[in-house]
Amino acid sequence: MRESFVTIWRFMNILFLLSLWTIQSESIISFLLIVSLAILVCLRWRFHLPAWTVLIDIVICALFIPVWSASVFGFALPLFESITRGNYAYILPIVILIPIGEMYSVLLFWFLFQAGFVGVLVRQWKKQRDLYISEADLERHSRHELENMKNELLKANRQTAQLAELSERNRIARDLHDHVGHDLTGASLAMDTFEHLEGKDAENMIQEIKLRIARSAARLRDTVHDMTPVARMDADVLEHIADEFQHTATNFQKSGDMSQVPAHYWSLLEPCLKEALTNVARHSDATNVEIQLDVTATIIRLSVQDNGMNASGLNEGTGLRNLKLRARAVGGSLSVDAASGHLVVCVLPLGKEEENR
Amino acid sequence: MTIFTFALKRIFKDKTNLIFLTMFPVAAIFLPEPDDWPLLPYGYHYFGVLILFVGIRLTGILVEDRQKGVVKRLAAAPVTHFQYLWQNLLAFAVILTAQCMFMIAGGVIYGHELYESWLLLMLFIVFSFTAIAISLAWNSLYRNKETSFLVFMCVIIIMAMLGGIMMPIEMLPDILEQIAVIFPTYWLAEGLDWIVMGEDIADFLLINGVLLLYTLLFLIIGSIRRID
Repeated sequence: MRESFVTIWRFMNILFLLSLWTIQSESIISFLLIVSLAILVCLRWRFHLPAWTVLIDIVICALFIPVWSASVFGFALPLFESITRGNYAYILPIVILIPIGEMYSVLLFWFLFQAGFVGVLVRQWKKQRDLYISEADLERHSRHELENMKNELLKANRQTAQLAELSERNRIARDLHDHVGHDLTGASLAMDTFEHLEGKDAENMIQEIKLRIARSAARLRDTVHDMTPVARMDADVLEHIADEFQHTATNFQKSGDMSQVPAHYWSLLEPCLKEALTNVARHSDATNVEIQLDVTATIIRLSVQDNGMNASGLNEGTGLRNLKLRARAVGGSLSVDAASGHLVVCVLPLGKEEENR
Repeated sequence: MTIFTFALKRIFKDKTNLIFLTMFPVAAIFLPEPDDWPLLPYGYHYFGVLILFVGIRLTGILVEDRQKGVVKRLAAAPVTHFQYLWQNLLAFAVILTAQCMFMIAGGVIYGHELYESWLLLMLFIVFSFTAIAISLAWNSLYRNKETSFLVFMCVIIIMAMLGGIMMPIEMLPDILEQIAVIFPTYWLAEGLDWIVMGEDIADFLLINGVLLLYTLLFLIIGSIRRID
């Protein structure tokens, strides 16, 4: 955009010189000045010329001053070039050469002034544009780095999970081999020996076998018990919370396929239920709380309904407000109703989120 | 020099080009000599217009290349745009130079009074370069060969009229007479006048110099690389 404006401005100058030449009915030779300047303008349009080429313009104009005094108007072009490029040293020869033309008109002054002014404008314009470009580049760069960092963290997370799984598998294999395996092999060998023994030795041997089998069964149970996670997961968490609630009686019911619910939803449903139950304990006179968790193909709905009569404290605390925001962030909603007892309903979308990814 | 030879082959494959390059010059040689204006035989005076026509015909193959996507494929080939351009231009220049030589030789053999025939040949050759450069610059503005050719025909007529080839420049109004200088055809007409009446060789060199400057100017404009 900037380039094309500059090119148009340069060609306008050539046209100005041409019209001046036509009006003044000058000699054919001075026409060469216009053609040479036009060639330089074309070169600047097509290629990026180095700054010293401004001198060529100045020399050409200076050479034609004796033939055609209005050649000094041609200095507008090198003046403009030197200012746009910031090579102010080239202004000096122009200033020195202008008096040679012996053309002291107001037109010349203002013409050269506008050339310099446009030059300053173009220079500022270019500076600003370069600044914006470098800022945009910097921003893009940091965004790229951030993205890289995120990817690396996610990768590290996955690797950690995998490592944990592997070490757990190793532990199980080791336990089975070290304890259960030895005892069972020992019991099997003792059985073989038992067939050849009689009397008290046989009695001792059978006791030994019993001990070994009992011990390995216990070991096996321990190992399997270690495998089941200690922390509760999924809907069990909610159920556990409901069970632990001492203030009133609770009734927890669930329906649907709980495995469909993404893991991070549980971390939203859990505080939701806690908040609702805390509210019941603090503000309500209810005696029973009905908790219903439904999972369908498209939504998850958690409703907590109490049978309290005191509907005065409906003003939402920070807890519920935060939960509302979090529910909205995943595309769901959380609503509170106090028409008959307190009812807190949290609805989260299912399936849709996976499609978006 | 593959592109150069290929350009030559392509030009001679086109029958219309052959008519432009052979029949028109032959016809021009046999045109009669005028009584008072122009000073040279009609065929030689109007030869500049023919050069412009031939120039636009020849450079048309560059537009054709762009139209057919040859330029796009060349961009992927190990050939620079500069090589493509100068070898094509060289082929055009060689053809036009040959045509100018043929024209002058024909005139001399036929017995026309051509005054300085060597300088006339030089003038025509220099003008041929200018014509190629102009049509190159002109073609770079167009995507379609036919449009470019048709519009340029009008431009040629205007240039010939205002430049003093079709009619004496003195017949034009003063202001047009002054503006006529910007047309390369004006300088050709000036050169033709010089061939007949000129004295100072410096004037002739100035005329050729201006034509060469024009060639440079239009080459710079026309050498733009357009891939579309």
